[in-house]
This record gives sequence, structure tokens and C-alpha cells, in this order.
Amino acid sequence: MIATLRYEFLMQIRRPIMWIVYGLTYITLVAVFWPAYRTLSFTDDGGHDPKLAMLTSAKLIMVLLPIVYGCLIADRLIRDRRLGVATIMDASPADPFGRLTGKYLGVCAATAVPIALAFFGRAVVYAMTEGKVEALAWSVAVFPTAVLPGLAFLGALALAGPLLMPPLPFRVLFVAYWFWGNLIPADMMPTLSHTIFAASNEYVAYGLFGQTFEGLAYGPWPDAALNALRPVASPAVAVLWMGVMVALTIAILLITRLHAARSES
Amino acid sequence: MRIQISQLTKTYKGGVHALKGIDLDVPTGMYGLLGSNGAGKTTLMRTLAGLLRPTSGTVRLGGHDITTQDGRLAVQRALGYLPQDLGVYPDLTARRFLDYIALLKGIDGRSDRRRRIGELLEVVALGEHADRRLKGYSGGMLRRVGIAQALLNNPRLLIVDEPTTGLDPEERIRFRTLLSHLAGDRTVLLSTHIVEDVAQTCQSLAVLARGRLVFQGHVGELVARAYRQVWTVTTSGTAPSTGRIVAALPHGAGMRYRVVAPVPPAPAAEPAEPTLEDGYLALMEAAPPA
Ligand SMILES: Nc1ncnc2c1ncn2[C@@H]1O[C@H](COP(=O)(O)OP(=O)(O)OP(=O)(O)O)[C@@H](O)[C@H]1O
Ligand SMILES: [Mg+2]
Repeated sequence: MIATLRYEFLMQIRRPIMWIVYGLTYITLVAVFWPAYRTLSFTDDGGHDPKLAMLTSAKLIMVLLPIVYGCLIADRLIRDRRLGVATIMDASPADPFGRLTGKYLGVCAATAVPIALAFFGRAVVYAMTEGKVEALAWSVAVFPTAVLPGLAFLGALALAGPLLMPPLPFRVLFVAYWFWGNLIPADMMPTLSHTIFAASNEYVAYGLFGQTFEGLAYGPWPDAALNALRPVASPAVAVLWMGVMVALTIAILLITRLHAARSES
Repeated sequence: MRIQISQLTKTYKGGVHALKGIDLDVPTGMYGLLGSNGAGKTTLMRTLAGLLRPTSGTVRLGGHDITTQDGRLAVQRALGYLPQDLGVYPDLTARRFLDYIALLKGIDGRSDRRRRIGELLEVVALGEHADRRLKGYSGGMLRRVGIAQALLNNPRLLIVDEPTTGLDPEERIRFRTLLSHLAGDRTVLLSTHIVEDVAQTCQSLAVLARGRLVFQGHVGELVARAYRQVWTVTTSGTAPSTGRIVAALPHGAGMRYRVVAPVPPAPAAEPAEPTLEDGYLALMEAAPPA
């Protein structure tokens, strides 16, 4: 597992295309959300609260960067077969599930590095311009709770998805899924967005870090379908969301392994 | 590591009967596996490597039953496998790639790994290219990386699937010579459809045709199959119509043919000394269809 983790990380992090696509998307993101990204606030409060600023920063990078993340992971699992390296790996005594886990961790970690850089880089800039060192502490609290669980799930999805279809249509579907299941308003159509199955970070922001929007609690939307999946935000629900993300991740990896074992002979 | 195969069949999901009741015993040393395209060589080798589950029959390698989890692991620890269509990660250097495979093979000590990789890179004469990315390697160089990765764990069983296909003559000869040096007390199973490779390296061989074993034994026995069946015909007229023409060379005003046939293909036919290739062809002529 460690070997695969190490080499998959290495091979992914050295892909020039990864840095290029992330760079371009980041520039787009900043341009589109400029006023909010400058102050790290969606309102006119100036973004002087470091906790809220870090949550806003997380929310902003989670708008577009996960698309890049998913698309860059999508070819990694099937690549071994395509390149013709899978045979010797399968013929090695290394445990197949260990190799899958190592690949998952290595690839996702490498692909998450630019997202982490963007997030923590912004935190450092914020800490300096606002003169608030606490922002760094908040960023360290926000990233693993609000960003990583979603990325963990998305990584598993993007790794395994192309077993069902070629990477190109998968990427198209993935982008569609991203908008449908994470970004659109819940009352637009039946959607997973704003539910505990959404990979975006709202339950942590509202439940764990006590963010409110115009003083309102976060939860069910008026007139939206699937409101059963939108409990009122609380610390427990935030933890539940993290649990759901991790459980989905493990489920996908297990199914992937079973699928591989079944198609072996 | 001795290979004992009995009544092995493999039917693919689509219903292709790739192996139909193979009984084969392979001792240590170089062993050739000949067969035309689609004969089932790769299927047999993938089964031995633990990549395919037999449909029926038993496979024992060094006494381990390949169909059990433990048996398979024990075999894979002692196995070096060079697949027919081996690929590499183009962005890794040869040294890095070998390091990765060595880790998968369980060679955990860093200095052990480094030493072993260094040695093998010298064995396959890639020492000076070792730190170049694999995407710049020629077909022959990649094949040598392939054999190096197979040898990392000092395997007692080495399975190489058509390793010489697509190599230029010099590289091919170098490669098969390397393989025979590797044999020693190992079992090296070499599959190919190039008869000459077997003739030059193996003492024993088996021949597969359409999923069946049609021959197993010494090279000499297969050559003997063509005894009194190889002829030279020199003619300025039409080519002989019986038997299989294996060579045709211009000769004066006419042609000189080399023909494998059970009876003289022409009145003026002269008997000729058979080669392994003639034996193989005679066998194929005689083999019952499907
Ligand atoms: N994965 C598969 N699914 C279905 N049929 C297969 C599969 N792999 C091979 N076959 C079929 O099994 C038969 C034996 O194929 P195999 O690859 O073992 O032959 P081979 O002797 O290695 O041939 P070649 O010299 O072309 O490599 C062929 O008819 C082939 O089409
Ligand atoms: Mg083959």
C-alpha cells in the first residue's frame, strides 16, 4: 500500500497538466468571484471575522476546484490497464485492496495539494493583510473538517467511475453532477445539493462553526424536494455529514475491489 | 520450480475454449512453448501467473495449488512474469519503475532494493540509461526493463510470453541468450511463435494448437517428426503442389524449393536434413483440426 501510495502521489504531482488546469481554473474563480474573494465575505461586512473569512474561502474554492480535482483523478485507475502495467502488478504478491487503497490515497493527496495551497495561501495572505494570526488557526481547523471529507468522497467517485464508462463521458457527467448535486439551489429541481450527501461544505460551516445567514439556521428549504435529507444544522449533523462522506468513500472502494475481483477470471 | 498441469481447461466468459484439457509437466531449465496466434499460450501463462482462474483441472507449481489463495501467494512470491504486452509508466525512469515493482514484490529493504536494481540494470545492459524516462526507450530496451522487473525477486519460476516478437535480429539473439543464461536451476517457460528461438535455447518444448497440447518432449523428437518428410525440389517448371513449401530460392533458370511432405512431392525430389521448424510444420500438417 505504501509503495503504491508513494508512486501514485509522485506521478500525479509531477503532471504538468494538473498544475496548468488548476492554475487556469483558479484564475477564473478569482475573477468571477472577485469582490467576495478579495474580502472573503459574501456580504458587506468587510470579512473581518477570521473564522467566517476562512469558511468563505473554503466555500469559494469548493465552487470550481473540485471539478478539476475529479477530472484529474478520473483516468488514474484505468490507466494501469491501458498502459499495460496492471498485469505485472496483479501477478505480484502485493495485496490488491492495499494497492487500491494506496492508489486512492496517493492520487487524491497529490490532486488535493493545489487546493490546499490555494486555501492556505489565501489564509496566509488574509492573516497578513488583516493582521490576524488567528486566521491561520481557523484555516487549520476548517480545511480538514469542511474541505477534506468532500474531497475524500469525490476522489473515490472519480477514481472508480471510469470503470463504468470511458473517462471523457465520465468527466462530462462528473461536471454535471457537480453542479446538480452540490451547487444549484435546492428548490430548483430535486437535487442532492444542500443535503448531507452534498460534497460541498455547508453542514460543517453552519453546524460546526456556527455560521448563520442573515441570522437564519441552515437546513430544509421551503418548497424543495428531498428535504428529508436536509436536517437542521447542528454539530451532530456536521459530524454525521463527515461520517456520510467517509462511509461513501469506503463503500465505493470496496465495491471497486469486488468488481475487480469478479472480472478477474 | 516444477510445473504440473493436469486436465486444465479454460473457457472465457464469451464462450471461447482457449485451453482444452492440457496435461503438461515442466521440469527446471529452459522450456519452450510453441504455438500459432490464438493457440492459447498467453492464456496458459496467465493461468500459471495466477491471473486467470482455471475453468477446471489442476495446476501445481512447486507443489503449490494455484487455485488456493495461499498457493497463489506462494507462487507469486517465487514468480517472475514478463507479459506479452507489458507497458510501463512513461514518466518514470527505469530505476524508479523497477523500484516500484520491487516494492510490490515485497523487497522492503532500501539498500537491498538499490543493490538488486543496480545489478539487474547491468545484467540487461541498461546501466547508463537507468535514469532516463521510459518514454524515450526503444522497444528492445523496454523488453529488457521487462525482464529486469521479472527478475527482481530472483524468481525460481520465470514466465516470458513472446519476449522476442518485434525485436531486431541482434536484439532478439541477445535477448534469448540472456534468457538461457538465466535458466540454470530456475524454470524458464518461454512462449513464442518463432521456432528458431526455441531451437536455439531450449532442450524441451511443448506445442499448443487451438487450445490443445499436440506435442511435448525433447527438441530432437520434434525434429524427428519431419524425418523423411523434408525434400528439396529443383525445377524450372511449376511449384510442387503437394506438401508445404517452406522456402523458395531462385536457382539458375528455375527455383529450388524446400518442401515438407509425407511423400516425395515430385519425382526428382531429394531428401533433406530436417530442422525444428520442419518438425513443427510436419506436426501442424498432421494435427487434427480443432
Ligand atoms: N480475455 C479474453 N476473453 C475472451 N477470449 C479471449 C480472451 N483472451 C484470449 N481469448 C481467446 O482465447 C484464445 C487463445 O488466446 P491466447 O491469447 O491465449 O493465444 P496466444 O497463443 O497467446 O496467441 P498470440 O500468439 O496471438 O499471443 C484466442 O481465441 C483468443 O481470441
Ligand atoms: Mg499470446
